This record gives sequence, structure tokens and C-alpha cells, in this order.
Amino acid sequence: MDLGSQHIAVITDRIVARHGGKVDAVIPILQDIQEEFNFLPEPAMKRVCETTDITPTRISGISTFYTQFRHQPAGKHRIRVCTGTACHVKGAEFVYEAFRRQLKLKDDEDTDAAMDFTIEKVACLGCCTLAPAIRIDEVTYGHVIPEHVGEVIRDFLSKQRDGMPVVASETKGGGDFQGEIRIGLGSCCVASGSSEVKAELEKTLMHANIKVNVQQVGCVGICNQVPIMEIIKPGELPAFYAKIKPEEVREVVLSHFKPRGYLSRFRNGFFNIFENVLADGAPKSFRKYLGEQRDSPLSKFLGPQVNIATENRGVANPIDIEGYRLAGGFDSLQKCLNTMTRQQVVDEIRESGLRGRGGAGFPTGRKWQMVKDQDAPEKFVICNGDEGDPGAFMDRMLLESYPFRIIEGMLIAGYAAGATHGIFYIRAEYPLAVTRITEALRICREKGIVGTSVFGTEFSFDIRVFGGAGAFVCGEETALIASVEGNRGLPRMRPPYPVEKGLWSKPTLINNTETLSLVPWIIHHGSAAFSKIGTAGSKGTKVFALAGKVKRGGLIEVPMGITIRQIVEEIGGGIAGDRTFKAVQIGGPSGGCLPASSADMQIDFEALKQAGTMMGSGGLIVLDESDCMVDIAHYFLSFTQNQSCGRCTFCRIGTRRMLGMLDKIRSGKGTPEDLVNLEKLALSTTRGSLCGLGKTAPNPVLTTLRNFREEYEAHLQGRCPAGKCLPLIRYEIDATCIGCTKCAQRCPSDAIAFKPYEVHFIDPEKCIKCDICRQICPVNSITIK
Amino acid sequence: MVKLTIDHMPAEVEEGATVMEAAASLGIVIPSMCFHPGYANHPSCMVCLVKDTGRENLVPSCAMPVSEGMNILTGTPDVMEARKEALELLLSDHIGDCEAPCRVTCPAFMDIPLMNRLIAAGDFTRALHIVREEIALPLVLGYICPAPCEKACKRKPMDAAVSICLLKRSAVQHEDPAQSAFPETVERNGKKAAIIGTGPAGLAAAFWLLRSGHECTLFERNEKAGGAMRYSISDDVLPKEILDSEIDTIRKMGAEFRLKTPITKEFFQQEILPGFDAVILATGHQGQSLADMFGLHPDQSGSFVNRKTFSTSLPGVFACGNVIREQKMAVQSVAQGKMAAMQAERYLGTGIISGSPREGGHFKAVQTGGEERKRSSVSVTGALFETEWTEYLQESIPDTRVEPAGMTWSGFTREEAMHEAARCLHCDCRKPASCKLRLYADEYGAGRKKYAGPTRKRLTRSVAHGLVVYESEKCIRCGLCVEITEKQGEVTGLTFAGRGFDVKIAVPFSETTREALMKTARECAEACPTGALALKREEERNL
Repeated sequence: MDLGSQHIAVITDRIVARHGGKVDAVIPILQDIQEEFNFLPEPAMKRVCETTDITPTRISGISTFYTQFRHQPAGKHRIRVCTGTACHVKGAEFVYEAFRRQLKLKDDEDTDAAMDFTIEKVACLGCCTLAPAIRIDEVTYGHVIPEHVGEVIRDFLSKQRDGMPVVASETKGGGDFQGEIRIGLGSCCVASGSSEVKAELEKTLMHANIKVNVQQVGCVGICNQVPIMEIIKPGELPAFYAKIKPEEVREVVLSHFKPRGYLSRFRNGFFNIFENVLADGAPKSFRKYLGEQRDSPLSKFLGPQVNIATENRGVANPIDIEGYRLAGGFDSLQKCLNTMTRQQVVDEIRESGLRGRGGAGFPTGRKWQMVKDQDAPEKFVICNGDEGDPGAFMDRMLLESYPFRIIEGMLIAGYAAGATHGIFYIRAEYPLAVTRITEALRICREKGIVGTSVFGTEFSFDIRVFGGAGAFVCGEETALIASVEGNRGLPRMRPPYPVEKGLWSKPTLINNTETLSLVPWIIHHGSAAFSKIGTAGSKGTKVFALAGKVKRGGLIEVPMGITIRQIVEEIGGGIAGDRTFKAVQIGGPSGGCLPASSADMQIDFEALKQAGTMMGSGGLIVLDESDCMVDIAHYFLSFTQNQSCGRCTFCRIGTRRMLGMLDKIRSGKGTPEDLVNLEKLALSTTRGSLCGLGKTAPNPVLTTLRNFREEYEAHLQGRCPAGKCLPLIRYEIDATCIGCTKCAQRCPSDAIAFKPYEVHFIDPEKCIKCDICRQICPVNSITIK
Repeated sequence: MVKLTIDHMPAEVEEGATVMEAAASLGIVIPSMCFHPGYANHPSCMVCLVKDTGRENLVPSCAMPVSEGMNILTGTPDVMEARKEALELLLSDHIGDCEAPCRVTCPAFMDIPLMNRLIAAGDFTRALHIVREEIALPLVLGYICPAPCEKACKRKPMDAAVSICLLKRSAVQHEDPAQSAFPETVERNGKKAAIIGTGPAGLAAAFWLLRSGHECTLFERNEKAGGAMRYSISDDVLPKEILDSEIDTIRKMGAEFRLKTPITKEFFQQEILPGFDAVILATGHQGQSLADMFGLHPDQSGSFVNRKTFSTSLPGVFACGNVIREQKMAVQSVAQGKMAAMQAERYLGTGIISGSPREGGHFKAVQTGGEERKRSSVSVTGALFETEWTEYLQESIPDTRVEPAGMTWSGFTREEAMHEAARCLHCDCRKPASCKLRLYADEYGAGRKKYAGPTRKRLTRSVAHGLVVYESEKCIRCGLCVEITEKQGEVTGLTFAGRGFDVKIAVPFSETTREALMKTARECAEACPTGALALKREEERNL
């Protein structure tokens, strides 16, 4: 054994010691090996096989199944380009290609020659309102345009050199608090710079010796306005500062907690003189709104919403258990444990009409009953937090912001079902959610809420966290179980259903995160209060991630039965720019596209299903006329095709062949026969696939074919009406060109000759359609033909 | 016990049984590729789909447990269509040829790759036996065949095609007479056949009829037999003694030659028709002149000879060779002679005249359950990528084409032939008869082209193991081998690698199939539903 492999063996042994040598430890072990080495060295994997029950076949199968794992060394830094739906419609592909050009990557290389950067596409960073967004290591950049990728890399490297902003220690000391300042620290807030804002805030407070309670709260939902800071001062209306920047913090704080003279300065307008590197192209100044101000975009955004899963949104510190208990937290659990039988709890949930929020909408009470009715000494409850839809981040927000609520929901489910163990299955891409839940569980265990004898009763229930490793299909319950058991995440045949034979063949209750988060409210307020909200078949509320071409995007919780129009126009503020509302993509890759003419449809499980789409996990992307529906269908299908586990024929090959036909159509080479075959294959794939992923993968194709067939037909004739499909468009410069030469200077492929003061020309042979010239032209002379 | 209905018939089976098992209890056979008794069936191929009227979608019958009151339909149009689509999708991602392109191109469908392998092993006698399965005149054709097979050879773009035609000649030249079972003695069955014309078609027809015990009389208007082979081909191309020796072989088999016997209409009607049980016309005449000579009447389409059955308006009278249309190649006439003989044989045995099993791009019939089924070469890959040459060269030799030292005229020496035959790439499938993909694709009429992608995957071939060959791109990813290696406790074993469309069966780490299949190689190869994992040296024949 040489030195290198000895070193690897020592580290690997340490990791194995942490997780034990059982087969189901394989994923955590690989995750830690990768954490250590940045990839999976073969000697490390062989060492694991030598020292544990894990076989070479298992470790090879697992390490090549989950996208998280790498078999080649990665660069020092990871560039993750978000290709979520919102980013896709805002040009993420251009950004990705621009980074590849910047790093001089060839063919299928993903790492530059100097091994500094490794680039990858990720399904969703959950910053839909900053689209297109990218992340380098822990730094997120929003509104990135291809032109600026070089700057982004330079900025990142300079930050590396100068060090990240130092978070000052919390202000401490006696004396009366003058008020409270709340700052959101959800992933999207952090992505848009809220931790820098918080650091600056704490510095200011410390220097000025102001005694204010700084409350860090979970996701505020108003992602379109983040970072957001709320100042609460006795005797004053709460004031919200939206899109605030670190350098603005000091003045804002001093305006509230010093003589009023400062405030007038803000009323007169505050101009930010600093280059906003974190959000190129975003408005350059923060906006201030006073609470209860009727016509503010904030109140409009929040107005039609009903907060159950997101109760106390923007108020509660996610891991402040005392705060949670003061607000009534764990009362529902105690009510169940002390005053209700298991059957009564199940009945209450059944009567509420709650249906699973993971997509299919199976009645939750019935599922609980099935598990309760199983006579087994050991049963499991799994919280499905493997949210992976591009353009959806509800579960992440709930797990990050309301960990105690979901834990309480799981404990109630565990009690009702007679279960003994709980597992949080959370995607690896959600590190903050994993941290928060882990921390919250630690606190709960300390307080006797999780573990042996919950709240001193006879009910014992332990909960652990399992980090997924990057496989969308693991959102499917049987694949999720396979994954926890240490297998490749392959869905299996149902029946038997997990309620009978789930994890380790024991009865297993699998509920979606959002479903569990609604449970405490239902127990507290009663099933009647819940079933009062919504439609005949769909009760309560649903959380959606609203993004795309609306003015105001973000996380919203709306009552079932609300119309799509209300969401788009009232909450979302209508379409941004001068464009028109064309369609809404609902339900992510399993859902479909509804035309604007269906906008008065109510949000309801059955209504959506009838329209060919589904509730899905709650992505809601608004599209305007510049979005090509063939492109959208291609986008979603390429996602599911990429995420297929590869087990059954229709999903493995069928989705690939459909994608091939869409490619052909997108490039103007499609024939009417292709449309017929596409539709036929889509239907067969729906009918002949084993699991939900395959069965619903054709939905985006089928709904666009149904609702926008004329767009497909236009492509057959060689036209892309929206100007999106690259092979069918060309860039041209019209006579309004002022000859500023900007485009010629920036063109990465020298397709534009440098001719000062003359009308420029794009050589179609050289043009790579990167869109840079169009984006930087100061007089909008560049058009897509 | 659980009661259910399958195809409107009541069934009663034990709880826990699958729909497929329940169907089998009623004698309903549902096709399946990924199912293997004794292993946890994890449906993947979706060829066993059936309709459960209680559900929206179709269900895989191999894994669906029966439930009380279930109503299953196994043969509805949508079920059949879905199975066909599943097969078409599998075919679109199946890289390999059901039959080697040389064999497909050969009008006589000679099993060229097998002949090559036998010659390479020095077994010229068995090689000749393989040749004679299809070709009645191997020696003659070894001289005059234009060898369309060589144009299709996958080796051709690499350096030069395998010298198939000369190898065929060498099979005759180097046959070990001591081992030769030829001409075999066949018991006469008492049926008499007349063959008019002694060109390649007539001689071939006689060869087949004699082999199956018929008495044959060949009528020839010229002084010597051989037809166009004797009178239109120069001695430089085909030495007369070669032709004579080939005709002599047929004579030794028991053929009676009536030379210098031109056939008049009267002679045909008065002597031949009443005197023989079957007649094969191989005179080289066509159309009206043929009809006038033998008194034939046109069928509905206006032809005098049915191109599928080789039958004519006269019962028991068949026609072949140039009689049907001008044949450019003797090998085509030889092939037709065989087919006409087979039709005559069937007529003599059963009185039935039915379509040739070789019509319309199909060849060879297999007997399954008393029913004749066509076998087609459903999977065709086309030319190899240059990056694939090394994969196939593993079972071949890199040396370029051998030129006979004694010039083409004399043919190969024994050693030369063996060396040249070893250049064959073995691009034919090792499971031409048992591959389920081929079997069901034939049955369901599934084609490979419908869903063919714009590009195909790169094929690979692993030959490290002594007993089996693994070709990853023939695999349908059913995972049976993965399960077998796991259940039987292989130390290394096989695993799924990757995900989705690119998932493959692979050996963990940098090991090979040799380490992976220490004890389960045969079991895996036998369970594999396609030619992906196949026994290396056991020749499976698709005749």
C-alpha cells in the first residue's frame, strides 16, 4: 500500500466507523467520502467493500446512480448554473454556454484545465425570482447575463481573496430593547445577500450601541423583494425594507432608531451609488413599504394568501423552540397524546379532507388508516422532502422555516399510525434544510419531545434524517424506500403498497413535507375549519412557487379553489413588461401547460387532472408570448428523461425517443408523421410505465399538443413563433443601429465586424446565437427573425 | 384461492400468484422477456402488459398479483399495440445484427459466419456440410459466384472483406473424404419427380429432392447437363471438369439424366405429366413461351408462375430459376431451385401449396406449436464506427486478406483458408434462434426503424471470459444477470451502472467478466433474453 492509498484508507475507515458497516450506510458513507476528497476515489470505495457488508456491485451501482457522486476529481470551485424553469425561460442556457466559453471547456469536459472550476447544471437553486441564477460554491449570483460571466468569476475570485464578509457577534448587553428588526434567512434571502445585510446590521447596532432585538426569521415568501428587513418599533407601523443592500443598512437603521431627520432623506429617494454585483440588472435601490399599507405590492402579494403551512411567516425564528411553543406549537401533539385515541386522530385528518400535497392527492386520512390497521410491531413514518421539480422549492422553504411544525406533524402521524420510527428524507441539494431539521431534532430530543416517551407519555418515537443523493425519481415512494435501504433508487411494482410493505418490508407511512406541515393546524383548529377552505374535493391550502414572467414571484400559500387568474394577476401583479399572459405551467415536469384561456379554472386536484395537468408539488411558472411551447415541452421532458431510473422500457427509451422527435421538430425538420408518433408514444408511455415519473413524464408534451398544437405545426413549417428555437431563428441588426460597436466588441464568435458609426451586420455563418448582442445593444436594434 | 376473469374465462389461483401465472393456468401464454422463474420479478421490459379493466393504465402481468374479482384482457388491440411499441423501443436501442450481413445478402442464405468459424478451426468437412445446407453446387459457385456477401462484409471498410467465395470453394477442396458423410444414402420414398432443365436451378432442385428420398429424372435437350454454366461460361472462369464433378455428385446421389431429350408439348403432356408425381420446370424460358410450351394458364395477376409458391396452373408442376425472371447470379438460381424443391416436397407430402417462407425479406420458417412462423433479421446495425473495430477484432485477427499463393485459380491451401477464415469478425448473433426480442418482434410485427434515434450507441464486446461473451448494447437492461450473480453469491458480480437511458450492466471497478462470472456464467447466458450475454462456443442455429 503506497502512502496515498494508506491516507485514503485511514480517512475511509474513519468515515465507516461513523456510519457502521451495514448496507444501508452506503449512501451516507459515499457522501462523506466525496465531502472529503471532492470525488469518489476508487481505492476508497474498494476499502469500504473490504471493511463493511457493502459489496462492489452495490457501491458501483449506487455511486453511478445518484448524480451527487463524481468519479473524477472536481475543480476547486463548483459553478452551479440553475436550469430551473424560471431560469430556463429567462435564458439559463445562454448563461451556461457563456460560462463554458469563458472556461474554454471542450465537448463533454466539465472542469477547466487549471482545475479551478467545475461547471454543472442544477435542477433548481430555488431562487426563481433572481433568475437566471448561478451559484459558485456558496455565493449565489442572480440576474446573470452571458455578457457578465467573466465579471462574475472575477468577482468570486476577488471575494475569495479578500475573504467573505465577517459576521459580527450578536449584540448583547442589558438595557431596554428599543424594538425588533427581523431579517429573512431563507435560501433565497441568503442568495440575494441577506447574510451580508445581517452582518452589516449587527455591525451597525454594535457600533451605534443600539439595543434592538435582531430576529432571524425563515423564508418570508416574498422572494421577489428580498433581502427584506422588517423594523418593528413600539408605536410605529412595521416598516418593510425590500431589496435592501448592506451599504444601505446603516442609514435605514439610524433613521428608525435616531432622530427622525434621517427618514426624510429616504422619502426623497436614496440612490445607491455602488455597483450591485450580486444582482446585475436588478433595480438599483431598495423599496420601503409600511405595514398595512393597502396598495403596496407587498399587501397585494400577501392579500389573497392564507397561511396554514406557512403560519407565522416572516415572524418566527426557525429554530427557536420557545417561540414556537409560545405561538401554540406542540399543543396539537399534546392534545393528540393526552385527549385523543389514535383512531380519533385518524378520523380528524380524514374528516378534514386533507389530501397528499406531493402531487397525486391521495386522501391523507385513508393512508393513515391503512398504516394504523396494519398489525406490526414496527412501523415507519417518512417525511418525503425529496423535492426535485425544477421551479419548485416549497418543501425546502417549509423545512428551513418551520422545522418544528413538520416534526410535530410527523409525531402526530406517528402516534396515529402506531409507528415507532420517523425519517426525514431530504435532498442533498438542501443543506440548510438538513441542518435546520437536524438541529431542531436535537433540541426536541433534549426537551423530551422526540425519542422515548414523548412528552412523558407512553408514546415513543425516534426520528432521523436521511440525505438524498441527487435522484429526482426518489421522490417516488418506492424508490425513496429503496434509497433509504441503501439501493439504487428504483421504483418497484405496487402493489404491495408501502402502507403494507414499505421500508424493510414494514408498514410505512410516507407523507409529503407540506402535508405534514398542515397537520398541527388541523388538529388545533379542527377538521371543520380546514375543510371550510377550498373546493368540494380539495380542501385547505396549497403552497406554490410562483415564478416566471409575473411581476411578483415568490412562495405563496393560497386556498384551494382560487383561480389561476387571481394568482397571476392579483398575487403576481400580472405579466412583467409589455407582454401578454400566454400560459401557465403548473405541476412541474409531471404537470402541463394551461393556456391563458383556462385562467379562470379553480385550483383543484380533479380540475387540474381533467385539464391534463396535475397539482404536482406546486411549481407555477407563468409564461408570456415570448415563450415557445415546444421548447417548454422539450425542457420538461429533457428533465424527466434525464431523471428516469432507466428500469422500464417506456420511460428509459420512450422518453428519449420523444425528446428526439421534439428536437427534430424544434429544428424545423419535423414531419406531420412525427407529431402523430409523438402523441402516440406519449400516450403509450403514460399507459405502460411502472411508476409515477414515467406515467406523468409525457404530460408536458400532451398538454402542449392539446392546447398549442398550432405552435407545433408552425415548427413543422420551419417557424418558431416565439423566436426561441435556435435552429429556426437568426439574429439581425436593423437600420436603427447607431454604430456604437458594442456588439462587435462583445461577440464571442466574431460574427459582427467592427464598423464605428455604421450599421453593423451579423454573419449568420459565424453567429452562435448566444444572445449577448441583443442584450447589450443600447438602442434595441438587434432582432430575432 | 383468488377468483378472477381472464379473457372472459374464469380462473382460480392461489393468493400471491401473478396475473401471468393465472393466465398460464388457462393456457394463455403472455410474452415476457425480463421474467425468469425463481427470481424476484421486477418488471422492466413491459412486453407482458395486459389490461386490467379496473385500472386506467396497463399492468405488467409478470409482477401484478391477482386480486379477487379482477378482470384481465390479454389480447385487446391496445394491449397488442403497447407490446409492439415496447418491442419497437427496445429494438431502437438494440445494437447488433440478428444475422450477419453476409448471410442476409446471400440469395441462398448460407450460414457464412459458421462456415468461416469451422474452416478457421480446420474442420472443412463440417464447413462443407454447412455450405450444402443451402447451396447444392458449392464447388461451381466457388468459381462463378459474384459474391454479393463480400460487399456486405463488416470487415470490408477495415481492410478487405473476408474472402468468402474462395473459402466456400476451399471447403470442398479440403474436405476430408474419410469423414465425409456425403452423398448420404437416403431411403427412397417412392415418389417420382421430373426436372426439366439441368442449369443451376434444375440441378439444385434435384439435389434437394434426392436428399429427401424422391426419385429424380432430369431432362436435358443438350448433349451434356449444366445449362448456361456449360454453354455460356468460358472454361477460364469455370473449368469444365469442375462442373462435371459437381454434376457427377448429383448423379451419384441417384439422379437419372435423360440427355438430348428436348421436351415437346405432346411429350410433356403424354409422358411426363402422367409419369411423375411432381414436375419442376427449370428450362430458363419465361412468360408466354414457357406457357405455350407446357400449356400453362395465367393466374389472376397475369403471371404463369406464382412467385411465392413457385406453383403453376397445373397441379404438381412448379417452376424456378430463369423461368420466373432473368437471374443475374447462379447463386440465385441455386437458391430458387431449393425453394421450388421444398414446395414440391411439401406438395408431395401434404398436398398443400402455401407461401414460401422466404418471401418479402423474410427467410426461414420456424416450427412453433405446429404453426409456421417467419423469422426476420429485425435488428440490423449497418456499418461499424471506426471506434468499434477493436471491439470486433478481439475475436478476429488483424491481418489483411490472404491471397492464394497459387493464384486465385487454384484456391486456398488448407493453411491459407484457415488463416483467412479467422479474419471473420463474428458479427452474427450468438442467439439467432432463442433471442426473445427477435422472436416477439417477429410475432408482433415490430420494426427497428420506427423509433430509431438520430445516432446509435457505440457497441462493445467483452470476451475476457472463457465461456461467455458480453455485448452491452444488445442488453435490454432487465437485470436478470445482476440478480443471478447476487443470489448465487458471486464475489465480484454484475451491477447496473449509471441511470436512465445510459444505464448499463457492468462489472464493478476495473474488473472484467472473467472475475464477475466465476460460477454463474452459463446460468446468466441462458437467462439472458437476448444475445447480450451468450455462450461463446456453442453454435445456436437458426435454419
